[in-house]
Amino acid sequence: MGRFWAIFFILAAVVTVGFSAIGPEFRWWFPGDGLAHSTLGKKIDDLFYLILIIVSVTYVGTHIVLGYVLWRGAGIQKSDKVWFSHGSHALEVIWTIVPSGILLFIAFYQMDVWRNYRVKAYFPKKTAAVAEVTARQFEWRIRYPAPGKILQPRPQPDDIYTVNDIRVPAGQPVSISLRSDDVQHAIFVPGLRVKQDAVPGLVIPVWFEVTDTGTYDMVCAELCGWGHYKMKAQVVASSEEEFEAWKVNAAKEQSYDGVPQTPEAVAAKADDE
Amino acid sequence: MLRCKMTLPHWSSFLGGLFVLVLASGCSKNPEAQFAWRDSTLELLPKAQDAVQQSITEGFGTPHDLVAWDKLPVDFGGVQGVVQPAVEGAKLSATEFQVQWDGTEDGIGAGSELLWMTGALAKSKTPTATVISYQPETKTLRLKTKNDAPAQGDRLAVGLGHQLQLGRMVYMKNCNHCHGVAGDGNGPTAQYLNPRPRDYRLGLFKFTSTLSSEKATREDLQRIVKYGIPGTYMPSFLLLDSKHNNFHETTAVVEYVRWLAMRGEMEKRLVDELSADYSQTALADEAEKEKKSYAEAKSEYDKARKAGNKEAAKPESAKSLTQLKKAAGEELAKYLEVDYPGTLNDTADFIADAWKRADDPASRIVPTVTRVADDAASRERGRLLYMSDKTKCYTCHGAKARGNGPAVEDFWKKPGSNETYAKRGLHDTWGNPLPPRDLTRGQYRGGRRPIDIFSRVYAGIKGTPMPAFGGTVLKDNDIWDIVNYVMSLPYEEQSPSAKPAAAPHMAATEPVGQ
Repeated sequence: MGRFWAIFFILAAVVTVGFSAIGPEFRWWFPGDGLAHSTLGKKIDDLFYLILIIVSVTYVGTHIVLGYVLWRGAGIQKSDKVWFSHGSHALEVIWTIVPSGILLFIAFYQMDVWRNYRVKAYFPKKTAAVAEVTARQFEWRIRYPAPGKILQPRPQPDDIYTVNDIRVPAGQPVSISLRSDDVQHAIFVPGLRVKQDAVPGLVIPVWFEVTDTGTYDMVCAELCGWGHYKMKAQVVASSEEEFEAWKVNAAKEQSYDGVPQTPEAVAAKADDE
Repeated sequence: MLRCKMTLPHWSSFLGGLFVLVLASGCSKNPEAQFAWRDSTLELLPKAQDAVQQSITEGFGTPHDLVAWDKLPVDFGGVQGVVQPAVEGAKLSATEFQVQWDGTEDGIGAGSELLWMTGALAKSKTPTATVISYQPETKTLRLKTKNDAPAQGDRLAVGLGHQLQLGRMVYMKNCNHCHGVAGDGNGPTAQYLNPRPRDYRLGLFKFTSTLSSEKATREDLQRIVKYGIPGTYMPSFLLLDSKHNNFHETTAVVEYVRWLAMRGEMEKRLVDELSADYSQTALADEAEKEKKSYAEAKSEYDKARKAGNKEAAKPESAKSLTQLKKAAGEELAKYLEVDYPGTLNDTADFIADAWKRADDPASRIVPTVTRVADDAASRERGRLLYMSDKTKCYTCHGAKARGNGPAVEDFWKKPGSNETYAKRGLHDTWGNPLPPRDLTRGQYRGGRRPIDIFSRVYAGIKGTPMPAFGGTVLKDNDIWDIVNYVMSLPYEEQSPSAKPAAAPHMAATEPVGQ
């Protein structure tokens, strides 16, 4: 076999790096266009890339060392003296301290993002609660306050309801109150890098700031029963004006009384006001 | 592809054996989808059963082989047209000709199947040609076919049934496991659900925008598919909307459900027609009755003889079940020959008309007045009506509208019999227990728009004890008062005077962390 395994392991590293390099071209990468469309999502991606770099360097380095050792080993004659490394105190210290250092660095470095995402006191200022999202087997029911009002913990007569369709204004931090009607669910919007369990009995605030208007897929990320796969929904982020206009329109549709709006009736109403 | 047959070397370990087991169970053929028959169909005498099953299969086919019965008001998909020569009187080609279409010919493309509806070529009931290409500018079809040339004015259909086929695909993927292949509400997951999934086979749907005697409109069913039914296991399929060859999934699945409902109702009506005279149970009952009356007559006769009355007539012996069956069989043969074709035709017409009528604007509930202003006075009028003997709302929904009126404590009789239900409380037409709605929960199965609640009061809820009040008992403005009262119920306890203002939502609405 000679130096076959040395070449094999070096090649393995080269092939892996090669595939990773062309991967995004074939969309073997993050969902959608591969970019995070929320402010926090961008930071989460940065963390991901940092870890990816650390892991890549370690992976490639390990393979180079492995290849080198195998290459050298293949040339060793039976008569050569062996270097016996087992029990080397210095080596043990090095390979304990270096990985611990890396792990500690990651642990401390990510804290900032975690705190901003999860600790309420560090939520961005002026985060408006846009909606209450209630997960149930197997759909998402959403309750918005009426135009110009703020969300109350209990349903109000003028609340607006949708199902499987979350509307938010883009370009500003917003939060949703996440609840569950039955079992544990999890809200997951891959395009925004938002993921949070919905736990029965708890109201969990989830904040995010969508940077680009558009429609983002939303699914349930906690196996919640046989219809888990049916919990497909969407998050529609639009400009603030569009969002408010949508709300006004949705409120109007929800108060529809079934009487056809003839042009005369509309005109008469306009005269009254 | 997995190969199902796999020979392992003899040294195959236990693990290897397990592997084969797993493969074999993975490969076992799924049971073939088929429309289950009603229990009452299977109760019929064999000849009657055959007749019903044959006519239903002829009109509707099987899940693998759908039939587009043109009598039914179902949009099966596809477009019809007539052959039109390019030049008047020119000879037509078998493989290329122009067509005058009835509607828009959007869905036509390579691979669409063509069926001849009239003319010399309309012998087969299945498509006999395939479209190679279509030119919308000249309206010219190029075909692959073994047929002869058509004649001018021959009617043809392209892509017939495509919408129904798409509907079936969507239904099998999303609906089948609760609602069942035949729409009988008896799929494999149905047994775990309360309330039970709808059984379409009565042709009844609860939440409609039509008058109490009418069926559901396409739009009603679409709303249910899109928005689901809160408080039940029917989820929302809002995003089920991809397009296949110009057919929308939601539209297609609604057509399929309507079609299943027509199929089920057709079967039920035919069986109901036959089961009084030609079912196993009816005949067994008859034999039992004969036996009983004979025993009575016999004891009378014996008594008379004992008393010395020699003129008493000896009663005829009771007819046995076999004799009765034979007689019924003869009668049935005559019936099937003489009356059944007419019955079949009338039943199909009746169902088709009912579904056609549902989409007629005249069947729709349109309030004659706009919603009465939702103020305290209107709600109070509504409350008084709710508690009045005119509506008797409180008997079921309860004085506090918690769905616990006195009616839920009673044992109710099954319709058309003297038996009572085994459980207390109200039941729906399908025989399932049905508690009256708790109106204080703010959960509205048929929708929360004022018109939805208005429709529930106006036309009742079909297939349930909720009666229709519109037109007869209540005027439209009375109904609006009730709607205003009912819609205020969930918020009664938290009106500002009764309770301190609720704290704003916990999701930071105010600047925090300053």
